[in-house]
Amino acid sequence: MQNAKDTFYEVLRGRLAVLNPERTIVLRGVVRPGVLVEENELLTAVALPDCFRLRWSTSAADANGILPTIAMQCFADYETAGTAINGGMDRGRALAAMDAELQAAVDPLPRTSPKMDYAPLANGKAATPMTTSVWWSEVAFGETVIKDDRLARTATINVMSYQEAGEL
Amino acid sequence: MGNLLQPSDGAIRLADAALRSGGGRTVLLRLAAPALPNDDAEQLGLATPAFQDVALGPAAFHKADSVTKLLVSASAVHELLGTLGYDSADVLFETAVGLFIDGLLYKITNSFSSQAMGRPYTYWLTLEPPTR
Repeated sequence: MQNAKDTFYEVLRGRLAVLNPERTIVLRGVVRPGVLVEENELLTAVALPDCFRLRWSTSAADANGILPTIAMQCFADYETAGTAINGGMDRGRALAAMDAELQAAVDPLPRTSPKMDYAPLANGKAATPMTTSVWWSEVAFGETVIKDDRLARTATINVMSYQEAGEL
Repeated sequence: MGNLLQPSDGAIRLADAALRSGGGRTVLLRLAAPALPNDDAEQLGLATPAFQDVALGPAAFHKADSVTKLLVSASAVHELLGTLGYDSADVLFETAVGLFIDGLLYKITNSFSSQAMGRPYTYWLTLEPPTR
């Protein structure tokens, strides 16, 4: 399950960075592409604007098959206040731009990628490919939510993978 | 040494004196070390950052209703900003892991400043105590 989550994040981050290299965040003093996984970051009360914050929700296992299939929901939260120079009057357009970027990153085929094991990175080694793949659904957009001066949205993507023997 | 020609420095010194005489103490601001550029291990939660505790004081607790607030000297905050290279106090408090006080790590949920002539002389930090 963890390998599927890691693989999906890496794929999404790469695609988003190619689509809009300008969308970056500064997190702990380092500039990086504007997408993060909340459970991998320090707890904070601040919701970073103008970036995609991924969180993982329900998962279900289907044991009918050669390998168990794991299905997970990935929520992408994002919000924007528009640009200060426009007094935030472009916040609707800014949110629409983020919608389009997410859709362009998630929806195009192939919506699949070889599953990778990133655990060796902790020891300074390279990630290793696994034998199965991760695949995902088209993105489903939630309604626009007004949060003070920001417009926010949560999009949902269903991510699936086979659970390989011995995998966490 | 404060600039005597700056009238708002008087407010800072007065606030510092009030905090010290009112039982002001030193607390520890816990900061995460800067991330490593392009480090997938950190972004995937495989590696945890190092932490550093920096002293912040004088500071005094202010408790009203169920909200715990900490009043912190602006001079101490500004000294930290200069030393650590943060753009603003807001960024410093938003990116801090929390405040380490008497063995407990409090989360900073909000911060704002009291100002005189456009310059902060104290910072108010709203704290959330640890749940366990």
